[in-house]
Amino acid sequence: MAEFRFLGYLAEIFGEKRVEISLENPKKLRDILKVEFPEDRSIVLINQRAGNFDSIIRNGDKVVIMSMISGG
Amino acid sequence: MKGYGGRILRVNLSDGKISKEEISDEMRRKFLGGRGFAAKILWDEVGGVDPLSEDNKIVFSTGPLTGLPLPSSGKMVIASKSPLTGGYGDGNIGSMAAVHLRRAGYDVMIVEGRSETPCYIAIQDEEVKILGAREIWGRTTFESQDRLEANHGKPIGVLVIGPAGEKMARFANVISQRGRAGGRPGMGAVMGSKNLKAVVVKGTGKIPVFNEKKLREMGRKGYGEIKGKENYDFWIRQGTMQVFEWCNENSCLPTLNFREGTFQFSKRLDGYALEGAKVDRKGCPLCNMQCGNIIKDAENRNVEMDYENVGMLGPNIGMDDLRKVGVLNRMADEYGLDTISLGSCLGFLMEASERGLIYERIAWGDLDACKKVIEDTGKRRGLGETIYEGVRMASQRVGGNSRDWAMHVKGLEVSAYNCHACPGMALSFGTSPIGAHHKDAWVISWEISTDRFSYSKEKVEKVVELQRLRGGLFESLTTCRLPWIEVDFGLHWYPKYLEAAMGEEISQGELFELGDRIYALIRSYWIRENRSWNREMDYPPSRWFEEPLSKGDLKGYKLDRARYDEMLSRYYEIRGWDENGIPKRETLEVLGLGDVVGGLGKHG
Repeated sequence: MAEFRFLGYLAEIFGEKRVEISLENPKKLRDILKVEFPEDRSIVLINQRAGNFDSIIRNGDKVVIMSMISGG
Repeated sequence: MKGYGGRILRVNLSDGKISKEEISDEMRRKFLGGRGFAAKILWDEVGGVDPLSEDNKIVFSTGPLTGLPLPSSGKMVIASKSPLTGGYGDGNIGSMAAVHLRRAGYDVMIVEGRSETPCYIAIQDEEVKILGAREIWGRTTFESQDRLEANHGKPIGVLVIGPAGEKMARFANVISQRGRAGGRPGMGAVMGSKNLKAVVVKGTGKIPVFNEKKLREMGRKGYGEIKGKENYDFWIRQGTMQVFEWCNENSCLPTLNFREGTFQFSKRLDGYALEGAKVDRKGCPLCNMQCGNIIKDAENRNVEMDYENVGMLGPNIGMDDLRKVGVLNRMADEYGLDTISLGSCLGFLMEASERGLIYERIAWGDLDACKKVIEDTGKRRGLGETIYEGVRMASQRVGGNSRDWAMHVKGLEVSAYNCHACPGMALSFGTSPIGAHHKDAWVISWEISTDRFSYSKEKVEKVVELQRLRGGLFESLTTCRLPWIEVDFGLHWYPKYLEAAMGEEISQGELFELGDRIYALIRSYWIRENRSWNREMDYPPSRWFEEPLSKGDLKGYKLDRARYDEMLSRYYEIRGWDENGIPKRETLEVLGLGDVVGGLGKHG
């Protein structure tokens, strides 16, 4: 299983704050989620390291997708 | 030159003299407005003085876009030599006072001297009076606003200090409209030192602009663009409070006096908790993305919440109830205390109590104890006496190793972002021109999206780029940066707005140079006023270097001092400053600040 979490309004775009998905084979993030995110305003973290929507995700990975907030 | 009233209003409270002066074209070209004007005035007029003496001056400064029908333009800068830091201090505030000052025909007001008795300044267009403030002296900012509105009639703009400012607590700020706050580095204390309780301003004129029709049309389009942004609705629901969940996820939440970056009760305080408690919202004039979320606090009073307040008065002091946080937030606004510095001071006291460094017991999350400290700070007694000059001075009083966990830079308390694992943000705090505040450069998103653990040259360049835009451009326009940074409103609009307002085209390169000029001037001010200046004044607090996070996904992380130092050297190199952070002669000359060189004395 890979874990996917979504913060802020990106959770509303995806429709869930958290899902777990079992991957038969490693896949690109965009092919797993199949939802259009505002990519230039999004941050992808894979196991605490910066990734992107073309990063390959494997079972066991923890993925967090959050917006590029600006801290007030 | 259009876009300006073109005048400075100068009020001397010692002799009652009121004068109006022209702003030179050179001043407008080189410093634009807002922070730029304030820095230039303080450099020229306020040197070597005690910040709380009658020799200090306080500057209320607007820019060429302030008060115009453009997105979030109801802002002004309040600046002075800071009694909290001893260096340049400023803060921006959203207030009808900014709009009215411009409509009254003034871009800037300078207040100097000291009144013998409590007073306030009342401006109505050309008529300027110094009036007695006996009936509001000692009253809260909310009560004072009500009383002044009753006396002068609405609509007016009001800037007011609370009891904390009157008592010259060094992190006393200025409040407007019952909850809008500005001037973290003790601007309220400077007003208090002058016996100046408030400024009331009513302007009925028009702000002169070059092409009003075009400006209005572009303003209308700008407001429309903002409302059409895909995250606009979410912003309206949570505002800056969406940052809370984000920071907790990324170990950036200020927790237990910045020991940790995550808080176990974060869901009780985050943007979703706010949505559940929200009863209203409010904002600054001319803004269509209001950020003030109103809730009922634990004492059933309305209070305006945003991320900084909740971060510093929530997890940073172990408070796990949003409505209790609201009580402290509201009291801070009533007393006129900066919520960020207050949260840092309370966290400091709680840690000192836990370590047995003070006799008084003040436990993490103890609401009643916190309320008493706020009251005592407003009266300068008890633990209020320990903290009324901020955490830097409190650590000198408390002793032990408290210097290592007094969370400030240059004397200004760190705002609500833990940097154990954010070297770029630590550099931003370290090099901010007022001390540890986030307004000039907030780089955490960028560094997490690239490589948060790196100390790269690109990260330093990003900090400088953000400082040019946030700290240089927006602080001088003077408009709010939030439309650009929070909902991605196009940056390209601002040169167009300036052209319509002023009738002059200003290139991006010129705007960046403006930012660099202001930064070099403010840095020069710090050096002139601090003869013991050294590069360690650009270091973040020791805690982030010495004590790793003990919880969360980033357990074990801390900053590397040697690599931070390398980043700092790169920063100086980009800015054209020497290894001690002092602007080089050639840098000042290229920026048109050749006259500043002589003022730096042995450092020049």
